[in-house]
Amino acid sequence: MRKIFFILTTLGCFTTLNGQDVISPERKEAIDSLALEKVRDLSRYISIIGNKDTPFSEANRVIDRAEELFAEGSEIGVSSINRSDINYYQIKEYFRRLMALNYDRVTIKWFNIQYISDLELQPDGRYVGVITIYQRFEGVSDDGLRYMDTTKKDITVYVERKQTQIGGRLIGFWDVMLGDIRVTETST
Amino acid sequence: MRYLFYLIGFLLLIIPASTLAQVGEFLGDEKNFYAATKQVNQFLRRFNGEEDVRGKRYPKDDPNYRHGEIRRKYINILFDNNQKAISPETKKSFMSEVIDSQDPLFLNFHGGSWFAQVSTKFKYKDRDETLQLFLRLQEEKVGSKWVIYKAHFEPFEQYFKVDTADDDRFIHPMSHELDFMNLRKIFEDPDIVAAYSNEEFMPDYLSLVLYEIKKGALKFVGVDQVRFHFFQLENWYFELTEFNRSGPNTGWLISNLLPVNTEQKELLMRFIYYGND
Repeated sequence: MRKIFFILTTLGCFTTLNGQDVISPERKEAIDSLALEKVRDLSRYISIIGNKDTPFSEANRVIDRAEELFAEGSEIGVSSINRSDINYYQIKEYFRRLMALNYDRVTIKWFNIQYISDLELQPDGRYVGVITIYQRFEGVSDDGLRYMDTTKKDITVYVERKQTQIGGRLIGFWDVMLGDIRVTETST
Repeated sequence: MRYLFYLIGFLLLIIPASTLAQVGEFLGDEKNFYAATKQVNQFLRRFNGEEDVRGKRYPKDDPNYRHGEIRRKYINILFDNNQKAISPETKKSFMSEVIDSQDPLFLNFHGGSWFAQVSTKFKYKDRDETLQLFLRLQEEKVGSKWVIYKAHFEPFEQYFKVDTADDDRFIHPMSHELDFMNLRKIFEDPDIVAAYSNEEFMPDYLSLVLYEIKKGALKFVGVDQVRFHFFQLENWYFELTEFNRSGPNTGWLISNLLPVNTEQKELLMRFIYYGND
């Protein structure tokens, strides 16, 4: 179902290559939806990977799927309230750490809010934006130790014009990839 | 304060249950997250009155787009309420100029006259040291990018200290007739050599930083803090800082506001650049 939605949303962004590359407000909305869908995919994957009931092999499969959402070389920078340092992780490393967390029960929930920035054109012709979401993490160990935090995730979104051939015709479309993520523990 | 109260009340009334597809389990109580100015982008859009309370952009033909009253409400919540140095009079005067019905002032991401100050940590001689980087947006043939155009690194300062009262240090005006042979004496003492430079001499810390990084003497550790300095609005300066705290007055907020004329702007800029302009 997710794939169908993805394809339909992508098709919704189709324009011919002769069309303008400038993003109109209507197209921006379509791209925002596509980007949000990727962010929701990521959120789903994080919940699955973090869930202690997820079998090891399934978690690894989901990590691979999650990695496919990201542009090459993307990193996750994590900081907490009590520590000013930022720890930087490669995407795969971040997920593996999430999978290996030493809690017996992990719950990851999401706040129903997201903020989507404007898209800015960068020198390589791609557009870049940032989507902000909030997540609550709760880890409980069998001996009753409980850790809880709420984090703000600022997720880079790259929007790129690509082309494909359909029925002998070159068709341009906008594709979305996720990039670096800044994770900040919030005081809220 | 009254407007802030109204806005929060308004937010509570109008935010309905989401119609978005479910992602696992959602939490409630997002009101502080809605109120927070989550991105610099949102600060600009709120300042200009270009989005609704849920962060959805107004179309340009929407009657609310850049509407003065909406801007008044928004701009009121864009200040750090804990910052007592911004007097109510200064705020009022700023507000009346910004939302003036005849000649309102707006912020423009690509409008120039604003820059980022990034406080970073570098490892230098086995110690963590703070290095200030100044970045601005540079327009390119295609798109734009942030570029580092200035730096300040305190450990380098000692090398350029000049005692201005030290009037007896000079290269006398007939030195050229002796092929500047007296340079030998000057360069014997590295501590005083800066005294022989010209009056306007300013060390270029960015070149030194790049050189030391290239040599491997400076190693990046991380970013400590980011703030923005806005000189884009005529006769005004404000500083934008990110606050991470509970309650609605959080996120990217105005942490300093000053009325400044052209001369004061230059002085202030020099101060921000650690006296190195």
